Amino acid sequence: MKKHNYYIVVLFALLLSTNSCKKQYNDYTPDPNNPVTVPPYLVLRQILNDMVVYPFGDADKFGQFVLSSYTYYGTNEYWTGSADLNYGTLRNVAAMDKEAKRSAGDVNNPYSALAKFFKAYFFIDMSLKVGDVPMTEALLGLENPTPKYDSQKDVFKQSLDLLEQANNDLAALISAADVSLLGDFYFQERINGPETPLNALKSWQKVVNTYKLRVLIALSKKADDADLGVKQKFNDVLSDPAKYPIMESLDDNLQYVYNNAFNKYPNNKDNYGFDATRITVGQTWINTLSSLNDLRVMKIADPARGLGFADTDYRSFVGASNGEDVSTMGGKVEQGLYSLVGRKRYYDGYLGEPTFIVGYPEMCFNIAEAINRGWVTGDADSWYQKGIKADFDFYGVVDGDNTISFLRTLAPGDYVNYTVNFSYATYFNQPAVKYAGDNATGLGQILTQKYLAFGRNSGYEAYYQWRRTNVPTFSTGPGIGNSGVIPLRWQYPTAELSTNAANYTAAVQSQYGGDDNINLQMWIIK
Amino acid sequence: MLAAPAVSLRGQNITLYVVDGMPISSDTWNISPDDIETYTVLKGLAATAIYGSRAQNGAILITTKRGKRNAKGFSVDFNSSTQVDNGFIALPETQALYGGGERTEYAFGDGKGGGLNDGDYDVWGPKFNGQLIPQYDSPIDPATGIRQGTPYVARGVNNLKRFIQPGLLTTNSISFSGASDRANVRVSFSNSHQKGIIPNTKLDINNFNITAGYDLTSKLKIEGGLNYNRQNSPNIPDVQYGPNSVIYSMTIWTGADWDVDAPDIRGIWQPGKEGVQSVFAEYQRYHNPWFMSYEWLRGHYKTDVYGNLGLTYKFNTHLEAVLRANVSTYDVLRNEKMPYSAHPYGREENRGDYREDRRSLYDNNVEGLVKYNNKIGSAFTIDALAGVNARNFKYNSSFVTTDYLNVPGLYSFSNSVNPIKAYSYNADMLVLSAYYSVGLEFKDYLTLTTTGRVDKSSSLLKNNNTYFYPSFSLASVISDYVKMPKVISFLKVRASYATAKAPSTSAYLGPAGYPLGYGAPYVTTYGGPNFGLSDPAYTISPTYNNLTGAYAPGNKIDPNVKSSVLKSTEYGLDIRFLGNRLGFSATYYSNLIGPYIRPFPLSEASGLTAFTTNAITTKLSGAEISLMGTPIQTKTGFRWDVLVNWSTFKEVYKDYPSNFANYQFHQGDRVDKLFANLTAKTPDGQVINNGAGFPVYLPKGQYVGNGDVDWSWAINNRFTYKTFSLSFQFDGKVGGIVQDYVKRKSTEGGSNIETVQGAVGVARQYENDHHKDPGFEGSYVGEGVQVSNGAVIQYDDVTGVITNYKDLQFATNTSKVKYIQDYVSSFFNNFEHTSVAKTYAKLREVVLTYSLPMKVFGDKSVIRKIEISLVGRNLLYFFPSRFHDIDVDQYSGRNIYSGNSREPNLQTPTTRSYGFNINVGF
Repeated sequence: MKKHNYYIVVLFALLLSTNSCKKQYNDYTPDPNNPVTVPPYLVLRQILNDMVVYPFGDADKFGQFVLSSYTYYGTNEYWTGSADLNYGTLRNVAAMDKEAKRSAGDVNNPYSALAKFFKAYFFIDMSLKVGDVPMTEALLGLENPTPKYDSQKDVFKQSLDLLEQANNDLAALISAADVSLLGDFYFQERINGPETPLNALKSWQKVVNTYKLRVLIALSKKADDADLGVKQKFNDVLSDPAKYPIMESLDDNLQYVYNNAFNKYPNNKDNYGFDATRITVGQTWINTLSSLNDLRVMKIADPARGLGFADTDYRSFVGASNGEDVSTMGGKVEQGLYSLVGRKRYYDGYLGEPTFIVGYPEMCFNIAEAINRGWVTGDADSWYQKGIKADFDFYGVVDGDNTISFLRTLAPGDYVNYTVNFSYATYFNQPAVKYAGDNATGLGQILTQKYLAFGRNSGYEAYYQWRRTNVPTFSTGPGIGNSGVIPLRWQYPTAELSTNAANYTAAVQSQYGGDDNINLQMWIIK
Repeated sequence: MLAAPAVSLRGQNITLYVVDGMPISSDTWNISPDDIETYTVLKGLAATAIYGSRAQNGAILITTKRGKRNAKGFSVDFNSSTQVDNGFIALPETQALYGGGERTEYAFGDGKGGGLNDGDYDVWGPKFNGQLIPQYDSPIDPATGIRQGTPYVARGVNNLKRFIQPGLLTTNSISFSGASDRANVRVSFSNSHQKGIIPNTKLDINNFNITAGYDLTSKLKIEGGLNYNRQNSPNIPDVQYGPNSVIYSMTIWTGADWDVDAPDIRGIWQPGKEGVQSVFAEYQRYHNPWFMSYEWLRGHYKTDVYGNLGLTYKFNTHLEAVLRANVSTYDVLRNEKMPYSAHPYGREENRGDYREDRRSLYDNNVEGLVKYNNKIGSAFTIDALAGVNARNFKYNSSFVTTDYLNVPGLYSFSNSVNPIKAYSYNADMLVLSAYYSVGLEFKDYLTLTTTGRVDKSSSLLKNNNTYFYPSFSLASVISDYVKMPKVISFLKVRASYATAKAPSTSAYLGPAGYPLGYGAPYVTTYGGPNFGLSDPAYTISPTYNNLTGAYAPGNKIDPNVKSSVLKSTEYGLDIRFLGNRLGFSATYYSNLIGPYIRPFPLSEASGLTAFTTNAITTKLSGAEISLMGTPIQTKTGFRWDVLVNWSTFKEVYKDYPSNFANYQFHQGDRVDKLFANLTAKTPDGQVINNGAGFPVYLPKGQYVGNGDVDWSWAINNRFTYKTFSLSFQFDGKVGGIVQDYVKRKSTEGGSNIETVQGAVGVARQYENDHHKDPGFEGSYVGEGVQVSNGAVIQYDDVTGVITNYKDLQFATNTSKVKYIQDYVSSFFNNFEHTSVAKTYAKLREVVLTYSLPMKVFGDKSVIRKIEISLVGRNLLYFFPSRFHDIDVDQYSGRNIYSGNSREPNLQTPTTRSYGFNINVGF
């Protein structure tokens, strides 16, 4: 009996111990669920995804294109607080560069070349929102957890240098016939008409230089600053197309194209019952179009039938003021006194229209503006007309007969069609449209048309243009919040005060007298 | 439902259940109450330190029933209880004067925007006056194809009350136990069937338990047990705010213009479109509740198995050794069958989906320990144990979903229109531990207990993965050695100091991935590694066109990061008077929690957002007082016992580095401060309106109160007379604040009763009668003032309060708001208008028990005992708030992450319940 028990104990102990000790003690168990290194194209896709500013958001309201007429979905008030900055995306840019160099060696490669463009793009994007931002000392991780702020001027100066380098690096890769680019869904792996990796690099080179023209135009109030050399740089690009290729048509756009399954246009047929009758078009946008007898208005908006004009009468296209309170606006929309967004264009399916990141029409107007301002020589009128026509193309407005579809009543998908004749010549011969020459009136025309071409795309460019030039005149009133004043900037992220206090305080002091206030002017618009 | 429960103790959540000495993973549903012999809630770190870091918030110790020897050699127990849930203690009150729509206009077209305000509407539609309005069931003229108007009447008053049904819970269990002089065995089976208050929701739990022991010799004993538990539900409700919730679709966003009992609504499907298109009054955002209950099904199938086997060798009366092992496992499948025409957030194509969430946990402990007790000399007694433990943990889960279905009603991944989305998660962990406990008693004067535990956890970095934490406690029964006044029969004082250290683990875990924009992710008990100290890794997720992208990590790990720390000091006093008729016990504790393992915030401009290191210490201190007494005790057998409990705690930031601080929280602040949007006010407290008559909101959240309650109380009374007993418990809480979500949403939406009362009700009536008048401008003028001198209001950069009162001149607001709904929507978003104190009192439980006296059966009866109880729960609810629409008790404690939500989600209404219980012993 005793012996028997002894065996039981030993067997039992053995069993129990094998149960657990088969396993070697692993000192630290790493996370088996996520990677610590990835191929660079995975990061590239994430960066590209971060570039687009979707329509139907704040940018639409702040550019005064599309407004909410339903309180529950939000008012049309401008912001009161902080901007979201892009350091998360810039971290990805740095990571992509590192991953590319880890696999390709520390040499020029498409990812590292594009990284320079992305850096310029995202630093400028942030600076336009808040003013000075850390750049020289930024993105160093624990080496410098409290980076100093670079002045807005220095941010632009460094970014222009980065754009110069990006252009040179891309040129070198193109001449070496590099075909290693992957993960570029704007050109190389886009759904419709993917480009070869080499052609994609060529497209990106045009994007870089076209974007550079936007950056230089944004500096129009600093055109005479010797350190920046705005006029010279603009002239360099225009005078050497071989070195600085720029966009030649809408096909060259850097743009976000929507698809049916995964990336639906934010207004689409799924959402008809949510918002097709709860958003209206801003008067700053469509009252301008209708006053110019511009057929684009009939693509963008449905007629306001409560006004009692024919559907294709330009007087049927009236938008609301951002300054109006949403309650009054909502009632007027229901009574048909304001136009709703064009249901055919925006709610018929899932594709809507592509959203520009850097677009060809804007480039034409930027060149026209530079000529008008005397930075470069050239024919401003020609670029002005090219820009307008490019935007006509974007909306499918042709010279001659156009088919226009409006919703018949309220039921989705049921349209009434009209044939409307539109003559380019007549349009361009109107006094308000005919280019008035390289003077203030001409500049106003260029800026107005550029604003119209920014409609619902290109992020905050329309707002920035208004801030820089006061064109067009923006609507105000109680509906925009902030005591009826359009703010001029965003506050810095609140976390900067606790995580980078000394540098934040110094930057706010030097720019805004210590007051991180949304109503104060930053350097670039002074 | 069936998610991991929050059992809150001293502001923290208990996450450890110890069954027969071994820890198990428990959601509390996997233990049959009838198998429990005793359970103890261990409070205070000194008591729990030996169970390791998982017990640092307290532990529940359960001893299961064992086969016992009796005269007959065996016994059989049968227990049956039935409980009906009926009648709500609090329910949102809705109006039935106006139907769905906007600005008092409505006409059905296609129910999704094709009519006049007929999709995703509010309940701000026309008044029910019997006027003819095209509705969802109005006939369509076959000649013109135009939908005719039918009388618009309140046909759906109290839709929710008529939809909800009494709940039923029946539990039956039977157990057999027996013992001989060497062996004991007990087997039990219990079945619990629950029918929910929402139609077609139910849950069955079957629990099988066996325990056995055998004395191999007088010194060697073997013991083991196994528990199998199966939770089975073809449909559990989802109450999370959204189109997936019946409260959302019935109480908040639709009105009385449709009838929940109408045959077409009850018929669920449109004729000829069975399985494809449901019937309802609206098709963009809301759902037919019968469709939600009978066609949109969320299954829950969970199998919990835990068991243990142990060997005890008793060397002599002083020394014994134990070798034992256990496993605790669960396998769970949660699925969702979403039919065609369901359209929760993000699924507006109405094409159905199928999803599976599978989780599997294996947790194994092997333990050896030695126990020793003896007298040392004449003065000392020692009671000691020491042990070693190895814990081996493995977890795997997956979440897979279709992206729309090709064939309606075929719930299979291969039926997915777009590629399926699938996620997986794996985790392993090994913890090696050694521990001791020594209790030393010096005569009658003093008891000193010390414990210590050392753990080595694979969830920590190699250089700091081993950590030790001791505890000391001292108790003395003063009345044993100091002469006390006669009235004092017992006096004891106690004090303890204890520490615990915790590795990088999480108590709870959600799904492996959650690509859905609606519903509440299911959370299960976990206790495994959280990989918070792993090399920072990329996040992989789909980007454009479903192509995979990677997001670079924003944190770095401190190479010297250590386990987190908890230090606890506790003092107590127990005193009894009058021969123990009256007792009083008081405890004060003070816990220093931290430094935690936390992401230390960095300037985002550095390219990092955080440095994971040891940071932040909070101090959680509190007191508990109990008063127990027997006011009446007669010789005839009548007895009245009372127990009164009172407790309070608060937690503040003791060490709060400036990188964490912002205008809301600073060192020394309570951790449960709540911030919310408030309207701007004049210095004397009047609301400031904009030029159009709508309230202006301050740009930053303002402090509005604390989430934790100030104190809690409970009174238990128990009357016994012979074999009768009656007990009842009152309890409640005082203080704390919470936003009433259903109130806020239903007011914004126009369904709440208050939207037809008072000045708002008058304005609503005026709008209904006059909105088509030329020049209609509304009638309502909001309270407060407007800025009259055109000055711009300036706000503090950091705190958002008004800084330029001196520049502002005010005049009474005179602007009429055109449509009342827009004003209400704006005004009621102010926290002040929809917040409630968490103060409440409840008659929580009344139990009347009668045991048949033994003499009824006689010595030879087969039946040993019969006990009958009547039970009532949640019978009375006192809630001194002006809204009586929520049970704040559901939010009275902290959530499972030991936090407070400012605005918790929708709740399933709490019901009163009544039941009876029969216990028969053979």
